[in-house]
Amino acid sequence: MTVKTEMTKDLVWPGLADPAHDSQRLFRQILGAMSEPGTLTTLALPAPPQAAPSDALGAALWGAVLTLCDLETRVWIAADLDSPALRQALTFHTGARITDDPVSADFALLTHESFDPQTPFALGSDTYPDRATTLLVVVERLANAGPSMLSGPGIETTRALDIGDSPGCRALKDRLAANRASFPRGLDMIFGCGAQLAAVPRSTRVDSREVN
Amino acid sequence: MDGYNFAYLDEQTKRMIHRALLKAVAIPGYQVPFGGREMPMPYGWGTGGVQLTASILGADDILKVIDQGADDTTNAVSIRHFFQRVAGVETTTATTAADVIQTRHRIPETPLRAGQILVFQVPIPEPLRFIEPSEQETRLMHALEEYGVMHVKLYEDIARYGHIATTYAYPVKVDGRYVMDPSPIPKFDNPKLDGNPALMLFGAGREKRLYAIPPYTPVESLDFEDHPFEIQRWEHSCALCGSDRSYLDEVITDDKGGRMFVCSDTDYCQTRRGDVA
Repeated sequence: MTVKTEMTKDLVWPGLADPAHDSQRLFRQILGAMSEPGTLTTLALPAPPQAAPSDALGAALWGAVLTLCDLETRVWIAADLDSPALRQALTFHTGARITDDPVSADFALLTHESFDPQTPFALGSDTYPDRATTLLVVVERLANAGPSMLSGPGIETTRALDIGDSPGCRALKDRLAANRASFPRGLDMIFGCGAQLAAVPRSTRVDSREVN
Repeated sequence: MDGYNFAYLDEQTKRMIHRALLKAVAIPGYQVPFGGREMPMPYGWGTGGVQLTASILGADDILKVIDQGADDTTNAVSIRHFFQRVAGVETTTATTAADVIQTRHRIPETPLRAGQILVFQVPIPEPLRFIEPSEQETRLMHALEEYGVMHVKLYEDIARYGHIATTYAYPVKVDGRYVMDPSPIPKFDNPKLDGNPALMLFGAGREKRLYAIPPYTPVESLDFEDHPFEIQRWEHSCALCGSDRSYLDEVITDDKGGRMFVCSDTDYCQTRRGDVA
């Protein structure tokens, strides 16, 4: 009994201490990130436990999950993030339903390593483009630098956003750039790296001119 | 605040509106359906705007509410009192001091700054509704960018009156894609929608739709090359503050034909008078 308590104590996934005000504060940060694509914001909340493999999620995306998910939402979890602890925490704190079918997911939790452009997430329809999956993606890093330039609604001129150099990060950038061709259908992405968060909605033009 | 959750709405409802707002921001000008709730005020009094404000408002936000530009008219006063009571937030009449501004049918004259949120009360969110009554059809027209009929409506104005006679709720195109009803603001305010550094959110409570214009988004008013979009102009200046560049209301002062023109934006007018005195 004691052992079990010790274990769960180490692995406790934190909820919001003050649900009404914390979720309001976090939502305003996420709304700011989504309405000004590429801006970095740091979400202040306790980080989820560092027990592999689910240590990868990070405080920012866990905060986004706590703020946005509830019993009306379906969440899809990529294999490399999936763990009984995450599933339990998600169900306990939000009541969200976990789905294996990406097309039915309102939110998808994944990492740049597990991002597969072929995963059939919902893009919405031409008449209801809002019925699309929002991706919550763990990326290598978040910085306003590098060759990837964002422009469009929410950006006065252009804004640089660096999410990493891994093949997965490149695939994410290519997927974002492809959003314009299917607009208004498309994928909106919220990126997390530790407590840092940034978002790139489908309305953003992504120009990745490699310098060489 | 006993007996209420902070800002009146329950957390489940706020989350539902939060999710819809993120989609609205991601697809500028597109009307996102949401599960509008009954509010303790009748439809037509800004229930859509009130629900958006209640969802985004924080305990440390400073709130301003205007009705046709004025802080002291019935709708503005009652909504301001509502949020003082259910959220306990600080309120202001100064445009520059506010974090969140809920508005009925005006955009303040004082330029908005980055970080501010302007919440519009919208009676009929669908700009094509008076041309096509079917929701299914208008939805399809938006999907296909079938907006020619909107230009026909403006053209009929020109054919009949010699100029575009639409003076409020003047249709706009957001980021070159969605034609949007900017709510019944005078077309005088339309240029302020374009590239505004503030986030603009629109809520329609009866129709249960919300939509958004992110900061710095191109917003153009529909027009013709030979009949370009024009805003209202007055021969008068404000009788109180002397402004010659604000939106003026005509006020009848007696029953002998006496009248005066005054700024519709009370904060702008009072600030100017303070500066002048």
